[in-house]
Amino acid sequence: MGLGLLASRALRSSRILRSPSNGGPTYFLRTIVSTPELNNADAAAAVQGNPPPPPDLPKRNPVGGARVHFPNPDDAIEVFVDGYPVKIPKGMTVLQACEIAGVDIPRFCYHNRLSIAGNCRMCLVEVEKSPKPVASCAMPALPGMKIKTDTPIAKKAREGVMEFLLMNHPLDCPICDQGGECDLQDQSMAFGSDRGRFTEMKRSVVDKNLGPLVKTVMTRCIQCTRCVRFASEVAGVEDLGMLGRGSGEEIGTYVEKLMTSELSGNVIDICPVGALTSKPFAFKARNWELKGTESIDVTDAVGSNIRIDSRGPEVMRVVPRLNEDINEEWISDKTRFFYDGLKRQRLNDPMIRGADGRFKAVSWRDALAIVAEVMHQIKPEEIVGVAGKLSDAESMMALKDLLNKMGSNNIFCEGNGMHPNADLRSGYIMNTSISGLEKADAFLLVGTQPRVEAAMVNARIHKTVKATHAKVGYVGPAADFNYDHQHLGTGPQTLVEIAEGRHPFSSALKNAKNPVIIVGAGVFDREDKDAVFAAVDTIAKNNNVVRPDWNGLNVLLLNAAQAAALDLGLVPESDKCIDSAKFVYLMGADDVNLDKLPDDAFVVYQGHHGDRGVYRANVILPASAFTEKEGTYENTEGCAQITLPAVPTVGDARDDWKIIRALSEVAGVRLPYDSLGAIRSRIRTVAPNLLEVDERQPATFSTSLRPEVSQKVSSTPFTPAVENFYMTDAITRASKIMAQCSALLKK
Amino acid sequence: MAHMMRNMRVPPNSASLAEAKHKTLEFFRMCCRSIPEIMEIYNLYDVVSPSQLRSAVAAEVRKNSNLTNPKVIDMLLFKGMEELKNCVDHSKQRHHLVGKYVVGNQGLVQDLGHKDQGSSNFLKNFYSGNYF
Ligand code: SF4
Ligand code: FES
Repeated sequence: MGLGLLASRALRSSRILRSPSNGGPTYFLRTIVSTPELNNADAAAAVQGNPPPPPDLPKRNPVGGARVHFPNPDDAIEVFVDGYPVKIPKGMTVLQACEIAGVDIPRFCYHNRLSIAGNCRMCLVEVEKSPKPVASCAMPALPGMKIKTDTPIAKKAREGVMEFLLMNHPLDCPICDQGGECDLQDQSMAFGSDRGRFTEMKRSVVDKNLGPLVKTVMTRCIQCTRCVRFASEVAGVEDLGMLGRGSGEEIGTYVEKLMTSELSGNVIDICPVGALTSKPFAFKARNWELKGTESIDVTDAVGSNIRIDSRGPEVMRVVPRLNEDINEEWISDKTRFFYDGLKRQRLNDPMIRGADGRFKAVSWRDALAIVAEVMHQIKPEEIVGVAGKLSDAESMMALKDLLNKMGSNNIFCEGNGMHPNADLRSGYIMNTSISGLEKADAFLLVGTQPRVEAAMVNARIHKTVKATHAKVGYVGPAADFNYDHQHLGTGPQTLVEIAEGRHPFSSALKNAKNPVIIVGAGVFDREDKDAVFAAVDTIAKNNNVVRPDWNGLNVLLLNAAQAAALDLGLVPESDKCIDSAKFVYLMGADDVNLDKLPDDAFVVYQGHHGDRGVYRANVILPASAFTEKEGTYENTEGCAQITLPAVPTVGDARDDWKIIRALSEVAGVRLPYDSLGAIRSRIRTVAPNLLEVDERQPATFSTSLRPEVSQKVSSTPFTPAVENFYMTDAITRASKIMAQCSALLKK
Repeated sequence: MAHMMRNMRVPPNSASLAEAKHKTLEFFRMCCRSIPEIMEIYNLYDVVSPSQLRSAVAAEVRKNSNLTNPKVIDMLLFKGMEELKNCVDHSKQRHHLVGKYVVGNQGLVQDLGHKDQGSSNFLKNFYSGNYF
């Protein structure tokens, strides 16, 4: 410290000595502005004022390689950014124009998915003929505008804004979790001054309790109001708000209240400083120590794109990845915070239940030998395979092939019910596609509560409703919505009424240009499933829901494995197969109802968590979780995506498909593939769409080909398909954070 | 025995293969003669019998039975002598001997092999780990 001070003094004095400007030794007190030419910004601007040489500029590319979409080619206008001409659609802001010209403007409050607030002033740029620098994020670009982004005036303006922001921002970067990925840190390095002039005390703000997920250090807040806008515009809860004025301004919940949104975790990402950080991740790691693996979320059927940040063998956090078609840049709280479940309740050794009812760890050799032996003593039709909700397509393919080779065809995926309609792909996927929902202007939700079943789909519906005031009708049990909706009824009777045009909502559907019907996958388990779907088909036909240019008939699935399972034809031969089974192979299936299973049945559980399926198991084969393996998952809109291994497997666990392949060899019915590539070629013969990774494969035929049904709808009301949003599968049930959430936030 | 080996030095090179062979046999005999003492020092009675140890040493020797270069044989003999001296002088500990001569090179987890006979490479790899 002392040395540094001395050195800086020495530097300063030597500069005075060398300055030849005004003979005598004047007191040269260095002002706050670090770059001398900025001191006299106007003069410098005047010097620059000469018409610049006609642009002989290198071609610039938009920031982040973005593409510009011109909704109407006639509306293109031309502006000049630093002398470089760019064509932009009318209505873009100056900041967006700069981005297209390849200039990244510093910003705090502007976020391209939120409304414009214009209150941080960091994005000031100079515009020719305007007396003051303008906030580029809030200023619409006008034809012929000459924007200057790196003039001394703009630089000085930024430096000044930075100084005001840092006036009350604590200097606690060394203990701040945002350190290393903090916008304020980066921008103060790039645009800030090297010292501040404020000697008063910094203000401090009481921290708010926003619940078990978001940690607040409100003194760090710079009042950009991104979080407030996010909560009301994207999450659809008016929980956060701004209190007080001037330097007394605070972000808070008005009254002591937790943030009750299933998307609350996203405020952690959008907060440009460390005011809102992740509570479970607090003080756990620095972001530069983490290895990021681009993967897919499997806790629901949306398949949100995520990045798994790991350190060594441990998953440290999960953050979203941009995918405009699926999750935009948000993820649900379950996706973001379930990861601690990957460390608890893991199965790490093959185990066999002894005569005393306790599990004993054995070697893989012995475990597989026993399973193979038992499997051969049982009649083929008494063998049943159940794929769990987290299974990947490759292992489901292997399991189906194994069972078929053993002579059984009783295999299904939990959640699909006993009579799944696997023939027509359009009958079980989301035909409109998730991003397509934005074009809809009327929704009919049948037995589905998207808010808990697929939070990201719900966010799209919310976005649409917010943008176009689309009408939402809902048939199902009383549920919680974060947008305007009409609760039409609780049972399928209401559907029949709508189908026959007797219901007031049918006129709303009739008048809609792009109506959307979403049927929840909870309906699959109903006795009168076919009748319900028939009613839905009638509604679709009467209201022109399925047209060549628009397919608004959707099924919203619940689990990551469902769509792929149906594509691969995991359909049981008889719906009573569990009642007469003597050998059940549970591949990660924990939620299948085994009450009717005969007591002498032999149950093999292959999976990664000691969850419900293990209670009844005779043999446990430990498998790897989705963070540890490569696997294909198809989401509810029919887009296949691949998970990548981020961390090594736990203990003696093996990948799912390898276990089945090994078992097949021990059992003497060797499957003909030894690698993922070989399995995928096998999948190509069954469901080639699963190999088109990251590209949505729409269904070819529409549902109108469905056979007539004579079944009548029952009067039983629809039931909620997901009881607890935070705990839906083996991993989330093992997670402590999810348990806290369900205790505190479940309504 | 021990006193004889204490002043061990590098023996002169063998002139011919026959001489090297003779020396090898002599070395083997010396090993056999030290085995009772080694059994005593390291208290190996409950894990191994003298004859098993003898065959372990013989196996080590036979491993190199294909050598014809007297120089190489001399070198290996010297190494063997060194090992024997270490054993007799109690320079080793019990687990060294148990690990090397009683359990053998395969390690504690014995892969008896016959179970995996005829199984594919996939299965063999599967048993040994997830990553292959
Ligand atoms: S908490 Fe973060 S996101 Fe919210 S206003 Fe403050 S700085 Fe902005
Ligand atoms: S980004 Fe423009 S004012 Fe904040």
